Amino acid sequence: MAKEIATFIVNGQGYEVIVEPHMLLIDVLRDSIGLVGTKYGCGAGDCGACTVLLEGKPVFACLTLAVTARDRSLTTIEGLADGAGLHPIQQAFVDAGAVQCGFCTPGMVLTTKALLDENPEPTRGEIKAFLAGNLCRCTGYVKIVEAVESAAGILRNGGAR
Amino acid sequence: MHRALLPFEFSEPASVEEAVALVDGGRARALAGGVDLVLKMRLRQETPERVVSLQKIAGLDHVRVDAHGGGALHIGALATLRQVEQSAAVTQGWPLLAEAIASIVSMQTKVMGTLVGNLCVGTPASDVAPALFALGARVKIAGVGDERDIAVEDFFLGPGVTAVRPHELVTEVVVPARPVGSAGRFLKLSKTADDIAKVNVAVSVAFSRGTCAHARIAIGSAAPTPVRAVAAEELLLREDWCPATAKAAAEAAARSVRPISDVRSTADYRAEMVKVLVRDALTQAADGAGVLDGHDGKEA
Ligand SMILES: Cc1cc2nc3c(=O)[nH]c(=O)nc-3n(C[C@H](O)[C@H](O)[C@H](O)COP(=O)(O)OP(=O)(O)OC[C@H]3O[C@@H](n4cnc5c(N)ncnc54)[C@H](O)[C@@H]3O)c2cc1C
Ligand code: FES
Ligand code: FES
Repeated sequence: MAKEIATFIVNGQGYEVIVEPHMLLIDVLRDSIGLVGTKYGCGAGDCGACTVLLEGKPVFACLTLAVTARDRSLTTIEGLADGAGLHPIQQAFVDAGAVQCGFCTPGMVLTTKALLDENPEPTRGEIKAFLAGNLCRCTGYVKIVEAVESAAGILRNGGAR
Repeated sequence: MHRALLPFEFSEPASVEEAVALVDGGRARALAGGVDLVLKMRLRQETPERVVSLQKIAGLDHVRVDAHGGGALHIGALATLRQVEQSAAVTQGWPLLAEAIASIVSMQTKVMGTLVGNLCVGTPASDVAPALFALGARVKIAGVGDERDIAVEDFFLGPGVTAVRPHELVTEVVVPARPVGSAGRFLKLSKTADDIAKVNVAVSVAFSRGTCAHARIAIGSAAPTPVRAVAAEELLLREDWCPATAKAAAEAAARSVRPISDVRSTADYRAEMVKVLVRDALTQAADGAGVLDGHDGKEA
């Protein structure tokens, strides 16, 4: 393929975008579609700031060729809140004080979602292992782990706090 | 690091036959998970004219035990590291492999990256390779109209250089059933948990009457390729098992590596750590295999 109009299904909505093979998913999301919640940190797989969910699984948008994500279900941080109401994971991050500058937060929240979708009652060890690919330069890991624990409890409770 | 990639042609063949016709290992590169290839393209270490995605090829994403092939484990070229790590067949039958993958801490890397892709990078620092060496794995390689099958030790030829030739692709890694009574251990030393290994070691041992009846020792990041410590293995098969045997084997293992000095370690430190990791891995695996103290075993 060369240049083509492709469909990206982001947060349940279809977007038609002109893509070329060398375009990266992060650039399609941020520049072509305008969803700038996905952050660009290292560009090398080291930081996890660019994490999005591809068919529910956490991947690096900075190392994904956009063409390989055509017609597949993507979730970005913009897809979590329900209108003005934050997703329970987002609310748990706010309540726990797990957000400092906030640059790592979209990736942290999405990786947390992938974790809790597959393991609703993770141990602290399992939380740390699952989030190990997401770095926080503000180094607030204790509060982040607490936020994930509290979000897990809230979600097991049907979203009620 | 470049933000944008240089332009290239993109193909998504539907079969291995079509894909091998396209890839040449140089200007036309295979793409599995893309973790390594896309990163190297950003760094301009790779500038392929064509990228051949394997992702649309059906029947390559399996992790399964072949009941007819003597209970061997088959890992397809599109099986992700996470898939292998989480497979019940692997955690029960080949826990050494799950342990090695668990030492790769980045979840996204394991969700995207394939086990075969990890091998095809050809780095001596692969954490998967020593485990596969210790387990006696074989690599299946498809070419134009033929297929070959080589020991994983023969797959690594030098840093970044593997046995995959132009117009060839790895289709599968096959791990034979574990020797009866064997136990393994993987140990890794790194600067931080998420950095690649300064040294890593995988061992697999089984005992009969207090002496090793099966012994394999593999070491990574300490030579241009991952290596097996054959002299150390032979020593283990010869001598009664006891702490002194583990120490002697560790010293023999340190003589089979050719480490370099780089940002992660000096060569001397690496050689010294090979001794420590091999000794500890052997001791812990021997515990796992339920060895009696060497002399007790003989009298029994
Ligand atoms: C942040 C980070 C941390 C990491 N940490 C570790 C670690 O701790 N330990 C470790 O061992 N590794 C680590 N890695 C490496 C990672 O495991 C590999 O890069 C990944 O598994 C490669 O697999 P892939 O499917 O993404 O390969 P790709 O990037 O798609 O391909 C890699 C290379 O192999 C070739 N290739 C792929 N599939 C085939 C095939 N079937 N036949 C022939 N050639 C093929 C490609 O052409 C390319 O040259 C890390 C990587 C990152 C980014
Ligand atoms: S920006 Fe993708 S991992 Fe850092
Ligand atoms: S809150 Fe600043 S990087 Fe994590």
